[in-house]
Amino acid sequence: MLSERELERYDRQIMIFGREGQEKLKGAKVAVVGVGGLGSPVAYYLAAAGIGTLLLIDEQEPELSNLNRQILHWEEDLEKNPKPLSAKWKLERFNSDIRIEAFVGHLDESNVDEVLGGVDIIVDCLDNFETRFLLDDYSQRKRVPIVHGAVEGTFGQVTTVVPGITKSLREIFPNVRGKKEKFPILGATAGVVGSIQAMEVVKLLTGIGEPLLNKLLIVDLAFNTFDVVELR
Amino acid sequence: MKVTVRYFARYRSLVGKGEEELEIPNGITVGELIEVLKERHPALRDEVFAEDDDLADVNVSRNGRYVSFDEVLRDGDIVALFPPVSGG
Repeated sequence: MLSERELERYDRQIMIFGREGQEKLKGAKVAVVGVGGLGSPVAYYLAAAGIGTLLLIDEQEPELSNLNRQILHWEEDLEKNPKPLSAKWKLERFNSDIRIEAFVGHLDESNVDEVLGGVDIIVDCLDNFETRFLLDDYSQRKRVPIVHGAVEGTFGQVTTVVPGITKSLREIFPNVRGKKEKFPILGATAGVVGSIQAMEVVKLLTGIGEPLLNKLLIVDLAFNTFDVVELR
Repeated sequence: MKVTVRYFARYRSLVGKGEEELEIPNGITVGELIEVLKERHPALRDEVFAEDDDLADVNVSRNGRYVSFDEVLRDGDIVALFPPVSGG
Protein backbone atom coordinates (compact mmCIF):
# COMPACT_ATOMS: atom_id res chain seq x y z
CA MET A 1 0.00 0.00 0.00
CA LEU A 2 1.14 3.51 -0.79
CA SER A 3 1.25 5.97 2.09
CA GLU A 4 -0.33 9.42 1.91
CA ARG A 5 3.16 10.85 1.61
CA GLU A 6 3.95 8.55 -1.32
CA LEU A 7 0.69 9.41 -3.04
CA GLU A 8 1.66 13.07 -2.83
CA ARG A 9 5.29 12.52 -3.76
CA TYR A 10 4.45 10.54 -6.89
CA ASP A 11 1.25 12.42 -7.74
CA ARG A 12 2.43 13.67 -11.16
CA GLN A 13 3.47 10.24 -12.40
CA ILE A 14 0.47 8.45 -10.90
CA MET A 15 -1.38 10.61 -13.44
CA ILE A 16 0.45 8.54 -16.10
CA PHE A 17 0.21 4.96 -14.86
CA GLY A 18 -2.13 5.07 -11.87
CA ARG A 19 -1.69 3.88 -8.28
CA GLU A 20 -1.42 0.37 -9.61
CA GLY A 21 1.64 1.34 -11.65
CA GLN A 22 3.19 3.09 -8.67
CA GLU A 23 2.62 -0.03 -6.53
CA LYS A 24 4.50 -2.04 -9.16
CA LEU A 25 7.46 0.33 -8.96
CA LYS A 26 7.39 0.09 -5.17
CA GLY A 27 7.31 -3.68 -5.28
CA ALA A 28 10.27 -3.98 -7.63
CA LYS A 29 13.94 -4.59 -7.03
CA VAL A 30 16.21 -3.18 -9.74
CA ALA A 31 19.98 -3.66 -10.00
CA VAL A 32 22.09 -0.82 -11.41
CA VAL A 33 25.33 -2.47 -12.49
CA GLY A 34 28.02 0.16 -12.84
CA VAL A 35 27.47 3.36 -10.87
CA GLY A 36 29.32 5.72 -13.21
CA GLY A 37 28.27 7.91 -16.11
CA LEU A 38 25.14 5.92 -16.96
CA GLY A 39 24.55 4.51 -13.49
CA SER A 40 24.34 7.98 -11.95
CA PRO A 41 21.30 9.23 -13.92
CA VAL A 42 19.75 5.76 -13.95
CA ALA A 43 19.94 5.37 -10.16
CA TYR A 44 18.91 8.99 -9.60
CA TYR A 45 15.78 8.78 -11.76
CA LEU A 46 14.82 5.31 -10.52
CA ALA A 47 15.11 6.58 -6.94
CA ALA A 48 13.00 9.59 -7.90
CA ALA A 49 10.39 7.32 -9.49
CA GLY A 50 10.04 5.28 -6.30
CA ILE A 51 11.52 1.91 -7.24
CA GLY A 52 11.14 0.04 -3.94
CA THR A 53 14.64 -1.43 -3.80
CA LEU A 54 17.71 -0.35 -5.76
CA LEU A 55 20.83 -2.51 -5.73
CA LEU A 56 23.93 -0.54 -6.71
CA ILE A 57 26.94 -2.52 -7.93
CA ASP A 58 30.46 -1.23 -8.61
CA GLU A 59 33.97 -1.93 -7.42
CA GLN A 60 35.63 1.44 -7.97
CA GLU A 61 36.08 4.66 -6.07
CA PRO A 62 35.39 7.88 -7.97
CA GLU A 63 38.33 9.76 -9.50
CA LEU A 64 38.50 13.44 -10.39
CA SER A 65 38.25 12.70 -14.12
CA ASN A 66 34.92 10.89 -13.49
CA LEU A 67 33.16 14.01 -12.29
CA ASN A 68 32.41 15.45 -15.74
CA ARG A 69 29.65 12.85 -15.99
CA GLN A 70 29.22 10.75 -12.85
CA ILE A 71 26.90 13.18 -11.15
CA LEU A 72 26.11 11.07 -8.07
CA HIS A 73 29.72 11.41 -6.93
CA TRP A 74 31.09 14.61 -5.44
CA GLU A 75 34.55 15.99 -4.71
CA GLU A 76 34.33 14.80 -1.11
CA ASP A 77 33.96 11.20 -2.34
CA LEU A 78 37.10 11.16 -4.46
CA GLU A 79 39.33 8.17 -3.86
CA LYS A 80 37.49 7.59 -0.59
CA ASN A 81 33.94 6.34 -0.88
CA PRO A 82 33.34 3.41 -3.26
CA LYS A 83 30.78 4.39 -5.90
CA PRO A 84 27.88 2.28 -4.56
CA LEU A 85 28.32 3.80 -1.07
CA SER A 86 28.79 7.33 -2.38
CA ALA A 87 25.57 6.98 -4.38
CA LYS A 88 23.67 5.26 -1.55
CA TRP A 89 24.43 8.14 0.84
CA LYS A 90 22.88 10.68 -1.51
CA LEU A 91 19.95 8.61 -2.70
CA GLU A 92 18.89 7.76 0.85
CA ARG A 93 18.72 11.47 1.62
CA PHE A 94 16.92 12.13 -1.65
CA ASN A 95 14.22 9.51 -1.12
CA SER A 96 13.90 7.95 2.32
CA ASP A 97 10.86 5.90 1.27
CA ILE A 98 12.95 3.48 -0.79
CA ARG A 99 15.64 0.98 0.09
CA ILE A 100 19.17 1.25 -1.31
CA GLU A 101 21.44 -1.78 -1.23
CA ALA A 102 25.10 -1.64 -2.21
CA PHE A 103 27.53 -4.28 -3.42
CA VAL A 104 31.13 -3.10 -3.55
CA GLY A 105 33.11 -5.61 -5.54
CA HIS A 106 33.68 -7.31 -8.85
CA LEU A 107 30.89 -9.38 -10.35
CA ASP A 108 32.06 -12.75 -11.63
CA GLU A 109 30.74 -16.24 -12.19
CA SER A 110 31.30 -17.21 -8.59
CA ASN A 111 29.14 -14.47 -7.07
CA VAL A 112 26.69 -13.31 -9.75
CA ASP A 113 23.86 -15.62 -8.68
CA GLU A 114 24.11 -14.58 -5.07
CA VAL A 115 24.50 -10.84 -5.71
CA LEU A 116 21.68 -10.58 -8.27
CA GLY A 117 19.30 -13.02 -6.54
CA GLY A 118 15.80 -11.56 -6.23
CA VAL A 119 16.40 -8.79 -8.76
CA ASP A 120 13.49 -8.13 -11.16
CA ILE A 121 15.38 -6.05 -13.75
CA ILE A 122 19.10 -5.51 -14.40
CA VAL A 123 20.22 -2.15 -15.77
CA ASP A 124 23.50 -2.49 -17.65
CA CYS A 125 25.53 0.66 -17.01
CA LEU A 126 28.88 -1.06 -17.46
CA ASP A 127 31.92 0.09 -19.42
CA ASN A 128 32.97 -3.30 -20.83
CA PHE A 129 31.42 -6.20 -22.71
CA GLU A 130 33.13 -8.90 -20.68
CA THR A 131 30.97 -8.16 -17.64
CA ARG A 132 27.98 -7.43 -19.88
CA PHE A 133 28.14 -10.98 -21.17
CA LEU A 134 28.28 -12.26 -17.59
CA LEU A 135 25.02 -10.36 -16.96
CA ASP A 136 23.65 -11.68 -20.26
CA ASP A 137 24.33 -15.29 -19.30
CA TYR A 138 22.71 -14.74 -15.90
CA SER A 139 19.75 -13.05 -17.59
CA GLN A 140 19.20 -15.98 -19.95
CA ARG A 141 19.60 -18.56 -17.17
CA LYS A 142 17.31 -16.85 -14.67
CA ARG A 143 14.91 -15.16 -17.13
CA VAL A 144 15.62 -11.66 -15.83
CA PRO A 145 15.40 -8.71 -18.28
CA ILE A 146 18.38 -6.46 -18.97
CA VAL A 147 18.15 -2.83 -20.00
CA HIS A 148 21.37 -2.31 -21.96
CA GLY A 149 22.95 1.08 -22.45
CA ALA A 150 26.36 2.21 -23.68
CA VAL A 151 27.90 5.55 -24.56
CA GLU A 152 30.93 7.06 -26.22
CA GLY A 153 31.52 10.68 -27.07
CA THR A 154 28.21 12.18 -28.13
CA PHE A 155 26.81 8.80 -29.12
CA GLY A 156 24.90 6.06 -27.34
CA GLN A 157 22.75 2.97 -27.74
CA VAL A 158 19.92 1.37 -25.75
CA THR A 159 18.03 -1.89 -26.09
CA THR A 160 16.03 -4.06 -23.71
CA VAL A 161 16.64 -7.80 -23.54
CA VAL A 162 13.78 -10.01 -22.35
CA PRO A 163 14.78 -13.69 -22.40
CA GLY A 164 12.42 -15.77 -24.53
CA ILE A 165 11.16 -12.68 -26.37
CA THR A 166 14.22 -10.84 -27.67
CA LYS A 167 17.73 -11.61 -28.78
CA SER A 168 20.38 -11.80 -26.07
CA LEU A 169 23.26 -9.32 -25.84
CA ARG A 170 25.60 -12.00 -27.17
CA GLU A 171 23.38 -12.39 -30.22
CA ILE A 172 23.07 -8.65 -30.79
CA PHE A 173 26.78 -7.92 -30.34
CA PRO A 174 28.62 -11.06 -31.46
CA ASN A 175 31.89 -9.44 -32.46
CA VAL A 176 32.72 -6.82 -29.88
CA ARG A 177 36.37 -6.74 -29.10
CA GLY A 178 37.64 -6.73 -25.55
CA LYS A 179 38.97 -3.23 -25.52
CA LYS A 180 38.76 -1.12 -22.43
CA GLU A 181 40.82 1.91 -23.22
CA LYS A 182 40.05 5.47 -22.21
CA PHE A 183 37.12 6.66 -24.30
CA PRO A 184 35.79 10.21 -24.82
CA ILE A 185 32.50 11.01 -23.09
CA LEU A 186 30.43 14.06 -22.18
CA GLY A 187 28.15 14.08 -19.14
CA ALA A 188 25.08 15.14 -21.08
CA THR A 189 25.44 12.11 -23.39
CA ALA A 190 25.37 9.77 -20.41
CA GLY A 191 22.48 11.80 -19.00
CA VAL A 192 20.34 11.30 -22.11
CA VAL A 193 21.14 7.62 -22.55
CA GLY A 194 20.79 6.86 -18.83
CA SER A 195 17.44 8.67 -18.74
CA ILE A 196 16.22 6.50 -21.62
CA GLN A 197 17.35 3.41 -19.69
CA ALA A 198 15.42 4.58 -16.60
CA MET A 199 12.38 5.07 -18.84
CA GLU A 200 12.76 1.50 -20.12
CA VAL A 201 12.65 0.19 -16.54
CA VAL A 202 9.50 2.16 -15.79
CA LYS A 203 7.88 0.91 -19.01
CA LEU A 204 8.73 -2.72 -18.24
CA LEU A 205 7.38 -2.48 -14.70
CA THR A 206 4.20 -0.48 -15.31
CA GLY A 207 3.34 -1.76 -18.80
CA ILE A 208 3.03 1.71 -20.34
CA GLY A 209 4.25 2.31 -23.88
CA GLU A 210 6.56 0.04 -25.82
CA PRO A 211 9.98 -0.91 -24.47
CA LEU A 212 12.86 -1.25 -26.94
CA LEU A 213 12.27 -5.00 -27.41
CA ASN A 214 14.23 -6.32 -30.39
CA LYS A 215 14.96 -2.70 -31.21
CA LEU A 216 18.26 -0.91 -30.84
CA LEU A 217 17.99 2.84 -30.32
CA ILE A 218 21.07 4.64 -31.56
CA VAL A 219 21.48 8.27 -30.63
CA ASP A 220 24.02 10.80 -31.83
CA LEU A 221 23.55 14.04 -29.95
CA ALA A 222 26.15 15.89 -32.03
CA PHE A 223 23.93 15.44 -35.09
CA ASN A 224 20.50 15.25 -33.40
CA THR A 225 19.81 11.74 -34.67
CA PHE A 226 17.65 9.13 -32.95
CA ASP A 227 17.35 5.92 -35.00
CA VAL A 228 15.67 2.65 -34.11
CA VAL A 229 17.04 -0.47 -35.79
CA GLU A 230 14.93 -3.64 -35.85
CA LEU A 231 16.92 -6.54 -34.40
CA ARG A 232 14.60 -9.38 -35.43
CA MET B 1 22.41 -0.43 -58.72
CA LYS B 2 22.31 2.36 -56.18
CA VAL B 3 22.28 2.13 -52.39
CA THR B 4 22.36 4.77 -49.69
CA VAL B 5 24.96 4.22 -46.97
CA ARG B 6 24.46 5.92 -43.62
CA TYR B 7 27.32 6.35 -41.18
CA PHE B 8 26.87 6.57 -37.42
CA ALA B 9 29.04 7.74 -34.53
CA ARG B 10 32.78 7.58 -35.22
CA TYR B 11 32.19 6.27 -38.74
CA ARG B 12 30.45 9.55 -39.48
CA SER B 13 33.46 11.52 -38.25
CA LEU B 14 35.92 9.36 -40.21
CA VAL B 15 33.97 9.55 -43.45
CA GLY B 16 33.11 13.20 -42.93
CA LYS B 17 29.41 12.89 -43.76
CA GLY B 18 26.29 11.24 -42.46
CA GLU B 19 25.28 9.48 -45.65
CA GLU B 20 26.08 9.03 -49.30
CA GLU B 21 24.56 7.38 -52.34
CA LEU B 22 26.76 4.81 -54.05
CA GLU B 23 26.64 2.97 -57.37
CA ILE B 24 27.57 -0.64 -56.67
CA PRO B 25 27.51 -3.91 -58.66
CA ASN B 26 24.14 -5.66 -58.77
CA GLY B 27 23.43 -8.24 -56.11
CA ILE B 28 26.48 -7.79 -53.90
CA THR B 29 26.34 -8.68 -50.22
CA VAL B 30 26.75 -6.48 -47.15
CA GLY B 31 30.24 -7.95 -46.71
CA GLU B 32 31.18 -7.02 -50.28
CA LEU B 33 29.80 -3.52 -49.79
CA ILE B 34 32.05 -3.17 -46.74
CA GLU B 35 35.03 -3.99 -48.99
CA VAL B 36 33.92 -1.26 -51.38
CA LEU B 37 33.67 1.18 -48.48
CA LYS B 38 37.14 0.29 -47.21
CA GLU B 39 38.54 1.15 -50.65
CA ARG B 40 36.55 4.35 -50.85
CA HIS B 41 37.33 5.50 -47.30
CA PRO B 42 40.74 4.18 -46.18
CA ALA B 43 40.16 5.71 -42.71
CA LEU B 44 37.50 3.07 -42.11
CA ARG B 45 39.91 0.29 -43.00
CA ASP B 46 42.75 1.70 -40.99
CA GLU B 47 40.95 2.78 -37.88
CA VAL B 48 37.74 0.87 -37.51
CA PHE B 49 37.10 -2.30 -39.46
CA ALA B 50 39.06 -5.39 -38.56
CA GLU B 51 41.13 -6.95 -41.35
CA ASP B 52 39.48 -10.28 -40.65
CA ASP B 53 35.86 -9.87 -41.72
CA ASP B 54 34.66 -12.39 -39.18
CA LEU B 55 35.89 -10.10 -36.46
CA ALA B 56 34.71 -6.84 -37.98
CA ASP B 57 33.57 -4.61 -35.18
CA VAL B 58 30.65 -3.13 -37.10
CA ASN B 59 26.90 -3.57 -36.95
CA VAL B 60 24.89 -3.21 -40.13
CA SER B 61 21.22 -2.60 -40.81
CA ARG B 62 19.46 -2.85 -44.17
CA ASN B 63 16.27 -0.80 -44.50
CA GLY B 64 16.08 -0.47 -40.73
CA ARG B 65 16.59 -4.15 -39.93
CA TYR B 66 19.70 -5.68 -38.42
CA VAL B 67 21.45 -8.00 -40.92
CA SER B 68 24.50 -10.24 -41.24
CA PHE B 69 27.37 -9.81 -43.71
CA ASP B 70 25.99 -12.41 -46.15
CA GLU B 71 22.74 -10.48 -46.71
CA VAL B 72 22.28 -9.65 -50.42
CA LEU B 73 21.56 -6.02 -51.24
CA ARG B 74 19.00 -4.66 -53.69
CA ASP B 75 18.64 -1.44 -55.65
CA GLY B 76 17.44 1.41 -53.44
CA ASP B 77 18.45 -0.18 -50.15
CA ILE B 78 19.43 2.01 -47.23
CA VAL B 79 22.37 0.48 -45.40
CA ALA B 80 23.43 1.87 -42.02
CA LEU B 81 26.77 1.17 -40.36
CA PHE B 82 27.12 1.69 -36.66
CA PRO B 83 29.86 0.70 -34.23
CA PRO B 84 28.84 -1.04 -31.04
CA VAL B 85 29.94 1.31 -28.27
CA SER B 86 30.86 -0.02 -24.88
CA GLY B 87 31.40 2.89 -22.50
CA GLY B 88 29.34 3.53 -19.41
